[in-house]
Amino acid sequence: MYTIYKLTIASLKMFVRSRQALFFTLFMPFIIMLVFGYIGFDKPQLSDVGIVTHSPAASTQQFIDQVSKFPTLTIHTGTLEEEQEQLDEGNRSVVLDIPDTISGTGASPITAYVNAGKAAEAAGVLSVLNQFISQATIAAANIQPIATISEQEVNAHNLRYIEFLLPGLIALSIMQMSVFSVAFLFTQYKEKGVLKRILASPMKPFQFVASNAITRLIVSVAQAAIFIIAGLVLFQVHIVGSYILLALCVVLGALMFLGLGFTISGISKTVDSVPAIANLVVFPQLFLGGTFFAISSMPGWLQAVAQFLPLTYFSTALREIMTKGTGLAGIWPDVLGMVVWGVVLIALATVTFRFQEREAA
Amino acid sequence: MMGFMANIIEVKNLVKKYGDFTAVNDITFSVEDGETFGILGPNGAGKTTTLEMIESLKRPTSGTITLDGHDVVKEGDLVKSLIGVQLQASTFFENLNLVELLETFGAMYNRKINAMELLDEVQLTDKAKSQSKELSGGQRQRLSIAIGLVNDPKVLFLDEPTTGLDPQARRNLWDLVELVKRKGKTVVLTTHYMDEAEVLCNRVAIMDAGKIVAMGTPKSLIEKLLASGFSKPILQQQANLEDVFLNLTGHALRD
Repeated sequence: MYTIYKLTIASLKMFVRSRQALFFTLFMPFIIMLVFGYIGFDKPQLSDVGIVTHSPAASTQQFIDQVSKFPTLTIHTGTLEEEQEQLDEGNRSVVLDIPDTISGTGASPITAYVNAGKAAEAAGVLSVLNQFISQATIAAANIQPIATISEQEVNAHNLRYIEFLLPGLIALSIMQMSVFSVAFLFTQYKEKGVLKRILASPMKPFQFVASNAITRLIVSVAQAAIFIIAGLVLFQVHIVGSYILLALCVVLGALMFLGLGFTISGISKTVDSVPAIANLVVFPQLFLGGTFFAISSMPGWLQAVAQFLPLTYFSTALREIMTKGTGLAGIWPDVLGMVVWGVVLIALATVTFRFQEREAA
Repeated sequence: MMGFMANIIEVKNLVKKYGDFTAVNDITFSVEDGETFGILGPNGAGKTTTLEMIESLKRPTSGTITLDGHDVVKEGDLVKSLIGVQLQASTFFENLNLVELLETFGAMYNRKINAMELLDEVQLTDKAKSQSKELSGGQRQRLSIAIGLVNDPKVLFLDEPTTGLDPQARRNLWDLVELVKRKGKTVVLTTHYMDEAEVLCNRVAIMDAGKIVAMGTPKSLIEKLLASGFSKPILQQQANLEDVFLNLTGHALRD
């Protein structure tokens, strides 16, 4: 035990002092979090509407004032030429050419120039306008509407993008840390003869592997903690689930990817071949592992593959816990997925990773 | 006197084959307790393979090796705790300073060690807080010997300890080997340099193509050669170029 304890401490020191390791495990995912967090995909999308008038009478002016009050519209005014140019450049979803008077019978129609490339957005704008016109018509005709809607506010918590992203980013950074730090370091140890030197001591190889694995499990929990604290402080994210379950999932996920890391260093003859092999298995998961967008938004055939990726199980489990407070009963399929991958990858690692080349004799 | 020196290493009929290739071909020798024993030979002669079999790093195809009375194959872990090893490729853990590095290696032997004392022995106390990558070639070799000594071994194995070093660093390493020897430790080393073997080794074994072709004290081997009628043109020089070099640049270490 003294041996493992002492080696774990040494290995933690080595990890923390390695700039490369810190870059991949903390700095890079942190930058991603800041960039995606501050871009703010959550802000309501405002539709740009161009309004063209000629010599508006009071009724038209009143109509424009009313339309300008819609919170989802950004109103621009200009000449027909100016606004059509903006439309051509894609800066407007709809341009309305409004006649000088709009009340009463026989009024000229409003001409709407619609941006075909933003059809959905334009349709939204037009439906808002139609609704407004209907209400104005009803009011003018002094007819009772057939029904009214009374709104009641419920304090629902809508998932913000940063809250969706954070669990995925934690899973991603733990994958990077586990795979790359082990694959590079142990291939280097193998290549430079460090493993041979270890074999010349009475220490068992598993003691050395265990102390390095323990180090990375500690690092993975620290990583998750740092990202959660950053999320709480910088973006005021809501985290609802159990932190203990979260920590257990983090350790399970890290173990699974450590198996992958050791497998890669097992099949890599030299350090130079590590990035190629590691990226082959890590890169697709960056996009398909449910970190940046939900698996459900992918085409069906891609979902069929993506749902079985190790990172998908990991990020889904963390997201369920953090955003919905799901307990073990709810995430067991993901936990099972991680356990299966963990067993497979660790078995592969024990087959491929050797302290010494197998002798031909 | 007891009349005989105990043998700390006994190698009998040692063979190592890789497929059809025989790297070590039926060698037998012994190393006495407290002596410095050299294994010499050209590249590929089987020196390192022999050393690694004694260190329990490679399994012999056949033959027996005992170290301090223990069978190296059957009691590998015990033997590993009795020996100190410096490997040809001297690489260490990165991002640890020398004290931490020595303590880590000590932990591999389940020992708490006094790192500063070891660094003092190899004259590296002023580098205690440096990392191994900041050391010169000679300093790295001295560190590597300090690592070989963390478990206070009975036998220290040195594989080509001075290859690639400048003359000052070589002389310094020789002094260090003498120091280890004076502490009563047995030293087994391989080298390409005959002058080194002559200075350091009580006895040498010369290997070629997996076999030991000669064994004895350097002096006895030279006398045997001369007795066989060997002679070379006598060039009576009282000094050689290395003496000139060292005389001009001094014996002080340059690292």
